[in-house]
Amino acid sequence: MRFKMYGSFRCRMVLLLLFLLLDCNFSNCLADTSSEATTHTNNWAVLVCTSRFWFNYRHMANTLSLYRTVKRLGIPDERIILMLADDMACNARNKYPAQVFNNENHKLNLYGDNVEVDYRGYEVTVENFFRVLTGRHENAVPRSKRLLSDEGSHILLYMTGHGGDEFLKFQDSEELQSHDLADAVKQMKEKRRFKELLIMVDTCQAATLFSQLQSPGVLAIGSSMKGENSYSHHLDSDVGVSVVDRFTFYTLGFFERLNMYNNDSLISLFSSYNPSMLMSTAYYRTDLYQRHLEEVPVTNFFGSVMEMIHTDSAYSLLSRKESFRVEIKMSADKSVPDKKRLMDNPSDLDQISELNIEDQHGALKRIWSTIQKEMEKVEDVDAFVSYGLVLIVPLLAVSMWLTW
Amino acid sequence: MEPKEQSKEKKEKLWFWNWLIASVIFRLVLIYFPKNLNLASRPEVSTPLTSLRRLAEGYWLKQLSVSPYAGSMYHGSPLLLSLLGPLTVKRIEGQPDHLLCSLVFVIADIVNAMLIRATGQNLQMEYIRSLKLLDHVKLLEKPEIIPSGDIAALVYLWNPFTIVACVGLSTSPIENLAIILSLYGACKRQAPLAAFGWVIATHLSLYPAILIIPMILLLGYGPDTPPRKLFLQRRNVEVGDNPPNDRCCEREEVVHRPEVPHIFSWRPVIHFLCWTSLWSVYVLVLCGISVKRYGGLWELFKRTYGFMLTVQDLSPNIGVLWYFFAEVFDFFRNFFLIVFHGNILFMMLPLAIRLKHRPCFLAFVYIAISSMLKSYPSVGDSALYLGLLGLFVNELADMQFSFFLFCGYVGVSLLSPVMHNLWIWRGTGNANFYFATAMAYACLQIILVVESVSAMLNHDRMLRKPLTELQDGKS
Repeated sequence: MRFKMYGSFRCRMVLLLLFLLLDCNFSNCLADTSSEATTHTNNWAVLVCTSRFWFNYRHMANTLSLYRTVKRLGIPDERIILMLADDMACNARNKYPAQVFNNENHKLNLYGDNVEVDYRGYEVTVENFFRVLTGRHENAVPRSKRLLSDEGSHILLYMTGHGGDEFLKFQDSEELQSHDLADAVKQMKEKRRFKELLIMVDTCQAATLFSQLQSPGVLAIGSSMKGENSYSHHLDSDVGVSVVDRFTFYTLGFFERLNMYNNDSLISLFSSYNPSMLMSTAYYRTDLYQRHLEEVPVTNFFGSVMEMIHTDSAYSLLSRKESFRVEIKMSADKSVPDKKRLMDNPSDLDQISELNIEDQHGALKRIWSTIQKEMEKVEDVDAFVSYGLVLIVPLLAVSMWLTW
Repeated sequence: MEPKEQSKEKKEKLWFWNWLIASVIFRLVLIYFPKNLNLASRPEVSTPLTSLRRLAEGYWLKQLSVSPYAGSMYHGSPLLLSLLGPLTVKRIEGQPDHLLCSLVFVIADIVNAMLIRATGQNLQMEYIRSLKLLDHVKLLEKPEIIPSGDIAALVYLWNPFTIVACVGLSTSPIENLAIILSLYGACKRQAPLAAFGWVIATHLSLYPAILIIPMILLLGYGPDTPPRKLFLQRRNVEVGDNPPNDRCCEREEVVHRPEVPHIFSWRPVIHFLCWTSLWSVYVLVLCGISVKRYGGLWELFKRTYGFMLTVQDLSPNIGVLWYFFAEVFDFFRNFFLIVFHGNILFMMLPLAIRLKHRPCFLAFVYIAISSMLKSYPSVGDSALYLGLLGLFVNELADMQFSFFLFCGYVGVSLLSPVMHNLWIWRGTGNANFYFATAMAYACLQIILVVESVSAMLNHDRMLRKPLTELQDGKS
C-alpha cells in the first residue's frame, strides 16, 4: 500500500515538474517573442554620479562627459536623467568657477551652457535612484525627473563613483548593493520599462555590481573585475585633482570620432578597451543579452537616431484601399548608400475589395462605388473643387431658365 | 400732377438706395477704422463655426497637406474653405487685414438686403391680392400699407448685429445669404434656386435643414395668405348674398370669381425635391473630392455636423448650451444633447400645423427658434431673423411688448461685452455674470417669438371679423 502511494505521489510530482518546465519554456518563449515583437521606440540615458566632495571631481567629470557625448549623439534632455552631486563647478576650491574639465588641456568645458541636472546635491540617494528606475514616484514628482520609458525603450545606465565587492557607495553615506540593483532591473523588466538595457559601471570592482542580474535583455560592462581597482587617468595640476577616470577616458576617446550616423558596433567599443592602458580588465556580460554584439550599433544605446522616411506625396492617415507607389529614401549618409524602394500595397487587397463590390447588389451602391472610383482618380483636388464651385453659377442660371 | 407723382415715386425709390449706400459706406468706415473695437475676438460675434480666424487656420493646414480639421480649429465646410481660404492669405500693403474677406461679406450683406426686399415685395403683392379677394375694404383703404420689403431690407442692413457680424469677420453673412436665397426662390416658385439655397444652407450650418417644411409649404401653397377658412367663408357669404332665384347665374358668378388659392400643388414640390437631391449629390461629390485624402466624407461629417451636434467646444457664447454642458455629467451628456436638439424639433410640427397658411412667417419662427437653441449661436443669426421680422410689419403692427423687446435687445447687446470683460479680462466677475446676459437674451428671443406668433394669429382673427359680421348681419 505504502509503495503504491509513494509511487503515485512520485508520478504526480514528476508530472507537476514537467508541467512547470513546460510553463517556464512557454513563458520564456512568450518573453522572447514579446521582446522581439516590440519595436525599438526611443533611447533613454540614466547617468548617475554617486560621489560628492572636491576630491571626487573626476566622477562628476566622468558623468558630465558621458552626458555631453550622449546629447551630441542625439538623445535629448527629456530622455536623460542626470543625477549629480553637482558641487564641483561652483565649489570654493575650483580655480575655474563654473567650469568643469575632463582633460588637463582644458579644451572642453563640460559645464558650459545647456546642462540639465535632474537630481542634484542631496537628492542623489539610493532611494531616488531606485524610484527613477522602477518608476514609483510620489505624485508631486515632475515629469522631468521620471524615467518615462516604455517597452520599446533602450536604456543606458551609467554609474560612476566609489565601489567595492557587490556594492556602490552613494554620497559617502549610503550604499547600493548588487542584489538591490538586480531586483530593480527585474522590476523594470516586469513592468516592461525597457526593451534593452546597457549598464556601464566605472568604479573599483565594477563587475561585481551586476553579478546578480538575471533579467533578459540586459547587457553590462564594468571597468574592473573583482579584486581590481579602477584608476584615474591623469592629474590636472592646475585644478589640483584628477579630472577623469581611465575607463571613461577611453570610452570618450572611442566616441569622439563618431557622429550620429556611424554604424560602429558594440563589440568594437567593448574590444577597444586595452587592459594594459586601463590598468584593469574591462569585463562585460552578455549572457542575458540575446543579440550578437556585432549587429548592435553603439547608437542603439548612446545615441538616438530616428529612421527618416522621405515621401513626396502628402501624408495620408487613412489609406486602406488605395494602392499607391511611394518612393522611400533611407536617411542620407555618405557611408550608407541611397536605397530606393518602391512600395506597393499587396494586390490581394484590391482583389478582395473588388469581390466585395461585386457582391453588393443594388444599383445605387454600384453607382456610388463608380462615383468613388472616379473621385479617387482626380489628381489636382484644389483646381477641381474651384472649377466645381465656379460651375455652380452657370448651372444655377441654366436650371432657373429651364424651369421658368 | 403727373411729374409731381413721378418725382415723388423717384424720391421714394431713391430713399431706399440712399440708405443702402449709406450702410455700405458705414461698414467700410468701420472696416478701415476699427479703433480697438476688437469685434472679431468677441464671443458674441465669432463662434467656433463662424470665425474667420479659424477658417484661415484651416486653410493654412490644408496648404501644409494636413487635414484642415486637424487640431479642432476649423469646423466648417470644405467648399467655404476653397472659396474664402485664398482670400484670407492675400495681403495688400497698407490696407487692413482680411480686407478682401470683409468686402466679400459686405457684398453678401448687400445681396441679402436686395433679396429680402424682393421677397418683401412678393409677399406684399400677395397680401394685397388676398385682401382684394376677401374684399376687405377697410384694410385696403388704409392709407399706408408700409412697403415691408424696403423696411425689412433696411432693418437688416442697419441692424447693429448685422454690421457687427459683417465687420467682425464672421461667416454668418454667407450662411444668411443661403437661407434668404432659398426663401426668395421658394416665394418666386423657382424650385432649383430654392433647392440650391436650402442645400447650401444645410451644408454650411446644419440647422437650416428644418426649413424644408416652410419650403414645401411655400412651393405648394404659395406665399403668405390669410387662412383658408376666410376664403371659404367669403365664398359662402357671397353665395348666401345672391337670392335663390338667381341660381342660374350663381355658377357663372362663382366661376368668374378667381380660384381660392389654397390648393396644395404637388408639382413644384416634386421639382423641389428632385433639385434638392441633384444639388446635394453635386455638393457631396465636391466635398468628397475635397476631403478624400483626409479621411473621406465620414470624417467630414464627424468633424462638422458631429461637432455641431455634440457641442464639443464649450467656450462661452451668447447661447445657453455652453454653461449647461460644462457641468453636466458624462453619463447624462447624450441624453441632454438629445433634449436640447429635440427642443427645436418638437416645436416644428405644431407650428407647421397652425401656421401652414403663412409659410414665410413659419420660416421666420423656425429661424428664430433655431438661432436661440443652436449649439453655437451668434449675433449674425439674430441679424437674420430680425431682418425677416421686418417683412411682416403690416401684420405685426399690434405686437405687444415691442418697446420692451427693443430696450431688452439694446440692453443685452451693451451689457454682454461688459460682463465678458469683467469675467475674462478684469477677473472681477465670473461666468454667471456673462451667462446672466445670455439667459436674458434667450428670454427676449422667446418673448419675441411668442409675441410675434400671437400677433400674427390675432391679425388673422381680425381679418375674420368683418366677414363674421357680414354673416351675422345677414342671418
